[in-house]
Amino acid sequence: MAQVIFYIIGAFILGMAILAVTAKQIFRSAIWLLFSLIGVASLYFWMEMYFIAAVQIIVYVGGIIVLVIFAIFLTHQSDEDMPQPSLKRKIASALAILLGLAFTTSLVFQYGFTPSPIPFDTEVNRIGRQMLNTGDGGFALPFEAISMLLLAAMVGCIVIAMRDSRPIQKTESSSSNTLQNHPQEMNT
Amino acid sequence: MMFSLENITNSIHEWLYANLNATLALIIEFAIIGVLVIGLFAALGLVLIMMERKVSSWMQLRLGPNRVGPGGMFQTVADTIKLIVKEGMTPDRVDKLLFNLAPFIVMVIAMVVMAPIMFAKGFQIWDINIGVLFVLAVSSISVIGILIAGWASNNKYSLLGAMRSGAQIVSYELSAGLSVLAIVVLSGGLRMSTIIDAQQTGWWLFKGHIPAIIAFVIFIIAVTAETNRAPFDLAEAESELTGGFHTEYSGMKFALFFLAEYVNIFVVCAIGATLFLGGWMPFHIGNWQAFNHVMDYIPSSIWFFGKTFLLIFIIMWFRWTFPRLRIDQLLQLEWKYLLPISMFNLLLATVVAIAGWHF
Amino acid sequence: MGLRNYLSDVASGVKSLLTGMKVTGRLFLRHHKEKITQQYPDNKDTMVYPERFRGEVVMPHDDNNEHACTGCTACELACPNGTIKIITKFDVTPEGKRKKAIDTFIYHLQLCTMCNLCIEACPTDAIKMAQTFEHSVFDRSQLIKKLNQEGSKIREGVE
Repeated sequence: MAQVIFYIIGAFILGMAILAVTAKQIFRSAIWLLFSLIGVASLYFWMEMYFIAAVQIIVYVGGIIVLVIFAIFLTHQSDEDMPQPSLKRKIASALAILLGLAFTTSLVFQYGFTPSPIPFDTEVNRIGRQMLNTGDGGFALPFEAISMLLLAAMVGCIVIAMRDSRPIQKTESSSSNTLQNHPQEMNT
Repeated sequence: MMFSLENITNSIHEWLYANLNATLALIIEFAIIGVLVIGLFAALGLVLIMMERKVSSWMQLRLGPNRVGPGGMFQTVADTIKLIVKEGMTPDRVDKLLFNLAPFIVMVIAMVVMAPIMFAKGFQIWDINIGVLFVLAVSSISVIGILIAGWASNNKYSLLGAMRSGAQIVSYELSAGLSVLAIVVLSGGLRMSTIIDAQQTGWWLFKGHIPAIIAFVIFIIAVTAETNRAPFDLAEAESELTGGFHTEYSGMKFALFFLAEYVNIFVVCAIGATLFLGGWMPFHIGNWQAFNHVMDYIPSSIWFFGKTFLLIFIIMWFRWTFPRLRIDQLLQLEWKYLLPISMFNLLLATVVAIAGWHF
Repeated sequence: MGLRNYLSDVASGVKSLLTGMKVTGRLFLRHHKEKITQQYPDNKDTMVYPERFRGEVVMPHDDNNEHACTGCTACELACPNGTIKIITKFDVTPEGKRKKAIDTFIYHLQLCTMCNLCIEACPTDAIKMAQTFEHSVFDRSQLIKKLNQEGSKIREGVE
């Protein structure tokens, strides 16, 4: 029963991923990617890793895919079919896929997964404690480093988006022109 | 307790597992839950649309629907029948698959979000350990349904409505999440039952001091925006966009969008009632034993639905009072006011929780 | 300074929102006493018309079948869409003078927007707005009305 559910979810993820790559329209391929990511989240749910599943949905579905769709909306011709890639590119990408597949399978077979006897602890409190733990096996330093990185990114965004606060100076020539033109019109 | 949903569900559960094998019993329980959820959907749609029309008419000194049935009670039933028998048009040159998929995505998401809500004492579909986070995560998918509907319609009004809706939901999710976090910090858990148990001695709105009140106000504003309701209904602004993302929809597909809107209102108000007003917890005042016993005598489901409908009424009150915001005002309200205030408020709530200043 | 401005902004915003909600909240609680809806075909007999409601232009006549219209055509000139057409004639007074008077006062109801400009233009208050509004007929020609009654004449003393 459990294995059947696993294979159904896996087939769903892979099927949606293939659709995402082969779709003719860029918007559709974003939607298939979305379903693929939801499939990954449902895999986490099935493994009872609820927190990771929720974070997967919030970050990828609620954040990244929405931004991708926004970018697609803002581009022209988003509803037209994309051109077929050239044969050279097709061969290159097929080779890359084969290489990646071979690499992953060799890793999987070398590692030889064995089921762990330790039961999962999915309490969110534990994740938080671990994240801010400065002792052994704690993630306080990486956590702070990442937060510094994100803060720097945020400040950078604000600086780029900030409007220039200096008042726009009117050019002298344009204002004087209107003044000069006016009497002439009056005369004629 | 004379009337308890918990006992009913427990006895059904025990009877099923005693008389059938485990898999079959589980499937039957799923089926029962599915039927109940769909039934609740239909009932909510009818009741909430009726309530909205009556509230709006009373606030404008009108009569509201009063022709079908006593006091117009069956107006929404008649409307539903009309929408069911109406032809569901799919216009030419739309993306047919996505066009037909979008209303179902919105609907399914609204159904899934119902899972962790505690409708009464011990009456809950799934007491997942990340309860509130689950609701926040899953409800963020519903914006995708709106974006798909807007794009697939091949209509510029729909596209504009969808883009506005996307910008709005993505930004207001932040302050809704932060105001929810303030309560999570105070109660020390994401699980719905933990949050309700933490309010045994008093609702967070009353015993959480200033941070809880600020969080409550921000939460109500943010969820009004997230459910695309006036004064934040730019996504479907009738006067500018002829209906926004559901311009091209008709018949049952339109009805699904409409129903999902109202069910989403119910869900967010149920979350608000759980976080701030103690869910099914009865109203207690300190040491007034007699008063507290009388309050205990009222069934928990009535407490829950009463609080939820109070919040729904407040959101409807907003809709029939305030004019619609412009898109820049909308984003300004979120990024310049709600977000900084709710961040500061989260800090305040943390201080209160650590110092134990709440009752 | 910036922070104080910010907080006072928030406070004044909240205050104005609450003021609005107070108004609608009050109306919600008071709705049983005061209803503005007219259930039109049902309450035909008891219907109350607002004072300034404009239905159509009429020319009141008194018991002697006399009106106050001098035929000055001020209303015709004032009308923005040519609703009024006045055909004048010349009466001969007992003194032998020729005096201008109206022959037919034609009013096209289908063109009228009830803007009230003709009433305001009239120097003798000969026409006014009535409150009838059930104007639907089966033929468009029935909407062209002659406002002065058959055999009517101008009231004595109106110039």
